[in-house]
Amino acid sequence: MGLASLLVALDEGVTGLFAQWNVWTSIISTTLIGFLTYQLVTRQDPDIHPFLLARQAQGSPVRYPGESSVYRSHAAPHGMPLNASLNVKEPGASKWARGRDGDLRDVWRQAVNGVLDEGPDKGATGRILTVLGTDKVVEHSLDALTRQINLIGQHLVEQGAKQVAIYLPNSVELLITLFACAFYDLDAVILPFGKPNDAVISMLRRSASDTVVTTPGAFPFDFVVRHYPSLHRVVWVVDDGNKHLDWNEVPKGTGSSVNVSTWQDVVNDSPSDAGRELPPLQDQKPPADVTVFWDSKPDQEEEMVRFTSANLISGIAAQLSAIPTAQRIGPRDLFLPADSLANTHTLVLTLAALFSNASVAFSSAAPGAEDLAAAVRAVPDLHPTILVATPAALLKTQQDAAATRKSSLFARLSHARRVRNLIRSGAMPPANPSSVVPQGSKLRLILTTERAGANTPRLSTAALADLRVLTGARVVYALTAARVAGAVAQTGLYDYRLVGEDADELEDETGKGMHFGPPVTSTEVLFRDRDGLRSGEMASMGEIIVRGPCVAGDEVALGVLGRMRKDNTITYV
Amino acid sequence: MDYVEQRVAQAASNHEATTNTLLTPLNALLLTALLYATYTFLFRKPPPPQIPSEPPATVFRTFTPRTLLPYNGENNMPVYLAVRGRVFDVTRGRNFYGPGGPYSNFAGRDASRGLACGSFDEEMLTKDLDGPLDTLEDLGAGEMEALRGWEERFEEKYLVVGRLVAEGEADLVGEPGKKK
Repeated sequence: MGLASLLVALDEGVTGLFAQWNVWTSIISTTLIGFLTYQLVTRQDPDIHPFLLARQAQGSPVRYPGESSVYRSHAAPHGMPLNASLNVKEPGASKWARGRDGDLRDVWRQAVNGVLDEGPDKGATGRILTVLGTDKVVEHSLDALTRQINLIGQHLVEQGAKQVAIYLPNSVELLITLFACAFYDLDAVILPFGKPNDAVISMLRRSASDTVVTTPGAFPFDFVVRHYPSLHRVVWVVDDGNKHLDWNEVPKGTGSSVNVSTWQDVVNDSPSDAGRELPPLQDQKPPADVTVFWDSKPDQEEEMVRFTSANLISGIAAQLSAIPTAQRIGPRDLFLPADSLANTHTLVLTLAALFSNASVAFSSAAPGAEDLAAAVRAVPDLHPTILVATPAALLKTQQDAAATRKSSLFARLSHARRVRNLIRSGAMPPANPSSVVPQGSKLRLILTTERAGANTPRLSTAALADLRVLTGARVVYALTAARVAGAVAQTGLYDYRLVGEDADELEDETGKGMHFGPPVTSTEVLFRDRDGLRSGEMASMGEIIVRGPCVAGDEVALGVLGRMRKDNTITYV
Repeated sequence: MDYVEQRVAQAASNHEATTNTLLTPLNALLLTALLYATYTFLFRKPPPPQIPSEPPATVFRTFTPRTLLPYNGENNMPVYLAVRGRVFDVTRGRNFYGPGGPYSNFAGRDASRGLACGSFDEEMLTKDLDGPLDTLEDLGAGEMEALRGWEERFEEKYLVVGRLVAEGEADLVGEPGKKK
């Protein structure tokens, strides 16, 4: 009887409860089921497992006194050599065979040969585009560029050039001259463009350049000839607007010892079948060096750095391996360097894009763009997918967008909700670009960099999250330094977290903090005690020291103070 | 069957008019569920991933035969041994090198000669702790080859946590951290 009465009580209770079902109950339960269904259907898996973001680099188990552990990316574990190889394979080589490390010449060969991997894109090559003025897009055929490489290279060799300074804005000629130097065993010197006359002279002198490839108007020819007698050759790159002028004529009394020629004459006056084939791979000389100048602060002299080809290759290889397979650069991408190619980071990324057979667009206007929209507008109707932008342009874009949102509560709430979704889900939302990039934007990746010791504006994690939501593109923030080709460290493509200023906290909703991710696969980073900052059992901090095959001179102290955050990402102190 | 009949009768007699009030216990229950779901999906912050923190790094040290001596695995000390000037942390191989192990003679000592000669006897160790390090000059090519083999195995398995110098030389050597 005991059990029966219990059952009765239970049954009565349940029946009683459901007897209360009324129209409100229906509304509430429908809402509940609808809500749960919506949440489950729209739920996104994070792009990367949170554990991989919670510890992004690995410290060495032994450290030297006065130093922190040596940190490396998980992709380049301790005890293994750092990434120094492009793994260049000859067409037809086995998929599993180990390729050569490669040099700059292989970057161009790869760009011309097209995609080697089996698949729908096999054999596809990128396009090389130049934007002239504001809207004229010129496409260069790869064969024509190969011919230019050969002709310019041969011309420079015939003239007896050794150190070839390149003083050009972002243009295909800059890259062609660089490759011409690589193929014809000349040392290339890339000067930052748009410098005062004194600085140009000083850079020419310090690099002992005997030849300059430059553009009329920008290069102070008379002044240089007067003050730098070691200059023997000038190659003018003239554009359509003034090619009718006779540039070969040397002003009387000034440059009698200077041999002047124009790019267009060298290329156009040669027989059309000359220089079609690149110099053969067999018996080629070891690759020549590339000298660059690191622009830091306006009142400081540019630091001259001589990179070996191996340094640059290592930097390129690290940039390629930093991009997860699903996001790999390929022939469907259009890459736009909207930062000066004289910056090694931009140059290395552009070479990486060429090596990946992406299309590359050059615009001399893009590096000066004040914000993202202006940078993208510099190449109208081209819709770049990958953009190298200056932090200043990104910061302006982010701040302008924030100012615009101020006037509308709805815009503010909607933006905040999208940022929060991005952070919570850890998954990039489908592209929904707002007005910060022109209509039809296909932008998927923005690369930007902090230049150590150069007073570049800093981008907090909150600003980066804003930019991701505003552009629909992933943003990678790198730390670069004068003597390091490529990047020292950079944030992961899939790292959307907000961090605070407290380095011992993993995450923080304010997002005021910043970090540069873990070291790339071609570097290892440690901190050396300085200015009262000491590494101990709990913390690694001090002056940032970088080692690796992409570092000119193998090891460099950056001169800036940094520390490891709890998630083993690098940040400034 | 009594029970079923009883319930049917009860249900038949119990025809209360259903109300349309919002606050019935059932609605309260469902509302709570809805609120909880909203909170979990929209407002609750997912906890940050917890992973155990890394063990602190061992600081590279310069040992002399005397300062190395305590690292023999006794009294909860780690087990170190030196091979040609490099000190390996062999604590993971405590069963072999620790107290009672077959190679326990090497713990806290310079094991170069013993490893080269393949002998684990006491007389392989340098007796004079304050004297110069064993230069191994009298060893033959085969023995040096064996020593190199051991070193390679150690490099694979164990960490180099310091180096061994003769007593009195410790102050003469430069800062090891500056080594590349």
